[in-house]
Amino acid sequence: MDMNGVCVPMGDVRRGRRLAATLAAAALLFGTAACGADSDSADSGDPNALEVWTRSNPDSAATYDRVFAAFTKKTGIKIDYQPVVNFDQQLQSRASTKDLPDVMINDTALMGSYQHQGLLKPIDPASISGHGQIDAKTWSSTVGLDGRHYGIPYSRQAMTLMVRKDWREKLGLPQPKTWQDMLTLAKAFATRDPDGDGKKDTYGMVVPGSAQNGYVAWWGASYLWQGGAKIIEPDGKGGYRPVMDSAAAVRTVSWMKDNLFCGDKNVVQPGALTAVTSTATNFQDGNAGMNLTGPYNIVTFDGTLGKDKFEVLPAPAGPAGSDALAEGENVYFGAKTGKDKQEKALAAFLVSPEGQKLAMTGKNQPVVRIPVNTTLDAAKVHDDPRWSVVQKAYREASEQFPNAPDLAPIKQDTADSLNALFTYCGSDVGAGLQELDDTLAGDLKDQDLMP
Amino acid sequence: MSAPALDPVRTPSGEISAARARRGGKQARTTPARFDTALGWSDRPGPAWALRILLCAIALAIFAAPFLTIFSGAFSTNPSGSSLSFLPHDSTLLNVRVAGERGIWDYFSNSLVIAGGGLLLQLAVSVLAAYALARHRFRGQALILTLFMLTMMLPEEVIAIPLSLVLGHVPVVGLDLKGTVWGVILPLGAWGFSVMLLTEFMKDIPTEIEEAARLDGVGELRMLWQVVLPLCKPALGVAGVLGFIMIWDQYLLPLIAAKDPTDYTVTVALSILRTDPEVGSGVVLAGAVIALVPSLVVYLLLQRSLVTGIAAGATKG
Amino acid sequence: MTATVTTAPRRRGVLTRKALLPWVFLAPGLLLALVFKFVPMGKGIWLSFFEVRPFLGDKWVGLDNYTRVLTDHRFQEAIGNTLLLGIGMSLGAIVVGFFLALLLEGQARSLKIVRTAVFLPVVTATAVVGELWRLMYYPTSDGLMNSALGFLGLGPVPFLDNPDTALWATMVMGIWMTAPYNMVILLAGLAGVDRTLYEAAAMDGVSLRQRLRYVTLPALRPALAIVLTLAAIRGLRVFTEVYVLTGGGPAGSTEVWMTRAYTLGFTRNDIGGASAASVVLLCVTLLLTVTVNYFRKRGDVR
Repeated sequence: MDMNGVCVPMGDVRRGRRLAATLAAAALLFGTAACGADSDSADSGDPNALEVWTRSNPDSAATYDRVFAAFTKKTGIKIDYQPVVNFDQQLQSRASTKDLPDVMINDTALMGSYQHQGLLKPIDPASISGHGQIDAKTWSSTVGLDGRHYGIPYSRQAMTLMVRKDWREKLGLPQPKTWQDMLTLAKAFATRDPDGDGKKDTYGMVVPGSAQNGYVAWWGASYLWQGGAKIIEPDGKGGYRPVMDSAAAVRTVSWMKDNLFCGDKNVVQPGALTAVTSTATNFQDGNAGMNLTGPYNIVTFDGTLGKDKFEVLPAPAGPAGSDALAEGENVYFGAKTGKDKQEKALAAFLVSPEGQKLAMTGKNQPVVRIPVNTTLDAAKVHDDPRWSVVQKAYREASEQFPNAPDLAPIKQDTADSLNALFTYCGSDVGAGLQELDDTLAGDLKDQDLMP
Repeated sequence: MSAPALDPVRTPSGEISAARARRGGKQARTTPARFDTALGWSDRPGPAWALRILLCAIALAIFAAPFLTIFSGAFSTNPSGSSLSFLPHDSTLLNVRVAGERGIWDYFSNSLVIAGGGLLLQLAVSVLAAYALARHRFRGQALILTLFMLTMMLPEEVIAIPLSLVLGHVPVVGLDLKGTVWGVILPLGAWGFSVMLLTEFMKDIPTEIEEAARLDGVGELRMLWQVVLPLCKPALGVAGVLGFIMIWDQYLLPLIAAKDPTDYTVTVALSILRTDPEVGSGVVLAGAVIALVPSLVVYLLLQRSLVTGIAAGATKG
Repeated sequence: MTATVTTAPRRRGVLTRKALLPWVFLAPGLLLALVFKFVPMGKGIWLSFFEVRPFLGDKWVGLDNYTRVLTDHRFQEAIGNTLLLGIGMSLGAIVVGFFLALLLEGQARSLKIVRTAVFLPVVTATAVVGELWRLMYYPTSDGLMNSALGFLGLGPVPFLDNPDTALWATMVMGIWMTAPYNMVILLAGLAGVDRTLYEAAAMDGVSLRQRLRYVTLPALRPALAIVLTLAAIRGLRVFTEVYVLTGGGPAGSTEVWMTRAYTLGFTRNDIGGASAASVVLLCVTLLLTVTVNYFRKRGDVR
C-alpha cells in the first residue's frame, strides 16, 4: 500500500524509481555535455585581439587567414577570425545581446542598412594611415546619411561584358561597343548556330531576371545608368527622391523590354524571368554567348570554358554612356566596441599595398578584386591583363547604387516592378514606372528621407 | 469467456499466409493473398497482376526516374547546370572525392550523431506523451494535444533568432548549448507530428486488451512497453522514418546552434557547397547523393513495420 | 469476480497518483516544448508588436505591423495564391499518396524496392529537387517535360516562364514531393486493418469497391485524420517549393504568404513585419486545424 492507502502493485513502485533514476542520469549527462563545451573564441575582453567577421566560404577564408596572419606578425594584434555563413542572422543575434563584432568586412550595399540599425561606428578617413592612396570617388561611396563615413573601402569591382570570343569570331562580328552592336551579336548567337552542332540550342545572353533578392534590378542597373536613368537621387536637402518616372528611365526600360525580353526569341536564355545567378549557368555551360557580370566569374569561366574561349569587354554604351554597376566591399567597425586603435591599425593594413596584394594573390580565391589602393594595378597583381578592363571600367565608367540609404527595400521594389514589366509584354512601361515611383516614395518616407 | 491472451490469436489462414509471406512472395498463393492488401492484389499472373506492374512502372517513372539525372550528374565530370542527362558522361568518382576534400564526411558524421540521438529522444518523448494522451482521460487533454500541434504552426524563421538566444542561455538553468549536439537534439525532442501520430494510433487500440492486462495486474510502464507499443509498430515505423528525415533535413537549427563550422551538419554543408563558385555542380550533386543515403537506409529498415499487417485475430470487431 | 479496486476515497481530486500519472508522462515533452518551442514562439509573437531594431532597442508600435501587412497589396495578392497552392497541393498529395499506398501495399521484396524508389523525393534535399524541376520544366521543346508532352502530341508549355502556368507547375512539383510522405502514413494505416475483415467481406460476397468503402476507409480513419491535420497545419505555410522553384515570380504570380513574409524579414530587414505576418498565418492555421478536428470528432461520433 502506498501512502494514500491505495493498493499499488509492487512493480509500479520499482518502475517509478527506475524512471526517476534514468531521468537523473540523463540530466547529469546532458549537464556535463553542455558544460563541456567551452567557448574557444578569443575573449572579447583581451584588448589586443579583434573579432573579425567576413561572409566567406572556406576557400576565401583561407586567403583571409593569410592576410590576418601577416597583420598579426606585423603588429602583434591577434585576430579572432570568423568566416560566417549565416551572416545576417548571426549579426542580428549578436546585435540583440549588444555584443557586436569588432570589425566586419561585407558588401558596400549593406552600409545603409547597417547604419540605419545603428551597428556602425563613424570613421574619419584622415585617421586611417594611407588613406590618401584611395581615390576620392571611392571614399565618397562610404558616406552615410549624416555626411560622415561609415566604412573604409576594401575591394571594388565593376560589371563587364564577357563574350564567347570563338563564337563571335566564327560569325565574323566585331566586339560590341554599343547596345545596338550587342543586340545584333545576341541575335546572331541565337540564330546562326555559332557552336556548329546543327541545332538551335544557343542563346544570345544570359540574364538573371528574377525578382528574388532583387536580382533583375542588380543586373538591370547597368542598363539604367547607361540609359541616363537613376533609381533615386539626392534632393539636395539631405533626403532622396525617386526618379524612375523620368523619360530616360521609361526609354531604357522600354528598350530592354522590347528587345531583350519581348523581341526575337532566344536573345536571352529561356526561363530568364525566374533565373538567379546560381541557376543562370548557361554561359559556363556553353549555350549562351554573353554575360554581363562581375569579375569574380573570370576564374569560374576559365575553369569551365577555358581562357581562350571568352573575352572580357567593357559594357557596351547606351545613349548616355557606358557606366556599369560598381560594387565592392568595405571594412566596417562595429559600434561601441572601444578598440579604436587596433581597428584602425587593421584597416590601415588592409588598404596598404602589402595587405591588398596578399588579398589578391595566392592559391585560394582572391578576396580583393580591384584594389582600392590606387598605387596598385589590378592586372599586374593578379598577373592577368584582362583585369585592366575591369579596373578601367571601375575607375572611369561605373557607378554604385546609392549606399547611404537602406537600399534593400528600394532595390526589391524596383526588381518586382521590372520583373512584372518584362513578363507582360503588353504592359505600359510609363504607367508601371510611375507606380514604382509611388512605391519608392513610400519606402523613402519610411526611412524619413522624404517629407 | 476468458480474457484473450496478450498476443493476438491467429486464425489458420492467417498463419499460413504469414508463413508464406516470410518465405518470400513469389509463390503462387490461394485465397489468403487477396486479404493481404486493401485492394486484394493477387500474386498470380493475370490481368490484375499485369495492371499492377504497369502502374508500378508508371509510379517509378514519375517519382524515381528524375533521380537518374541527379545520380548521373553526381558521377559525371562537369555536368551541365542547364540541361539534364540520364546517363553519366565521362563517369568518374572525382566529384565524390572533391566533396570529401571539402569535409563532407565530417559533416556527415555530425548529422548521424544528431539524427540518431535526436530520433531516440523524439520517440521516447512522443511515446510517453502519446500514451498519456491516448490511453488516459484527464482534464485539459485536448488542450495539450493542441499545444503540441501549435509547435508546428509558427514558421522556423520567426523563431530562429529567439531560439538562438535561448540556446545561448537556457532559462532557469542558464546553460550554453551552442556548439554541442544537444543544442540541436533538445529542441527537436518535442515534435508535434510524432506526438499526434502516435496518439492517433494508440487511441485505436481496443480497450479490451488494456483492461485484460490490468486485470493481470500490469503496471503503467509495463503496459506501455509490453502491451501498447507492440501494437503500434506501424506508427512507430512511420514516426521513426519521418522523424529521422525531419532531423536529418534540419538546416536553420544546426546553423544557429553551431559555434564554428565544424559543428555544421551535412545539409548546411550542402548549401555552402552550392554557393562556392569554385565547386562545380557535379560536386554538389555528389554531396546530395551522399546526403540522401542514410534517410533511404532508415526507410528501408523500417519498412517492415509499415506493411506487416497485424495478423488476423486481434480482438477487433 | 472483479479485481480489487482502490479503497481510499478519491475526493482529494488532482493530487492522487492516478490523476498525476498522465502528467508525469507528458512532462518531458511539455518541458522540452516549453523551453525550446514556446519560449521562442512567445518572443517571436511579442516581437510582432515592435519595430525590431536589435541594436538600438526595439520600439513599440502596437498593431502597426499588422495593419501594414494586412493592407499591403502584395500580401493581399498572395492570399489567393496561398489558398490555391495550399489546398491544391495538400489535397492532391493526399489523393496521390492514397493511390500509391493502395498500389504498393504488400510484403514482396520487389514491392519493398519500388516503395523505396518512390520515396526518393522525400529524402532528397529540397534545393536539389527544386533545381531538378527547374530543369525538367525548361520552357523550350527539348525540356524534359516538354519532350514527354511532345510524345503525346501536346505543344511545349512555358511552365515557370509564364505567369499563367507557373502556379500550376509549382503545384505539381509540390504534390510530387509530398505524395510519398502521405503514402508512408497511409501504408501504416493500411497495415493496421484487420485482415479477417477482408476475409469476412469476401465470404459475404462483397465487391472490391464496397470493401474499400466500408472496410478499408473506416479503418484508415486515424491515418487519414493525421494526413488531413498535417495538411491543415502545413498547407498554408507553403514556402520551400515556391522559394526553390520560382522565388515568387514571374511577376509575383507564385508569391505566397510566407515568401512575402520572408522577403519582408530578410531582404527588407523588417523583422517586426515578418513576425506579424507569421502570427496572422498562425491564427488562420490554428482556426483551420481546430475546424478540421471538430468535423472529425463529429464524424467519429457517427
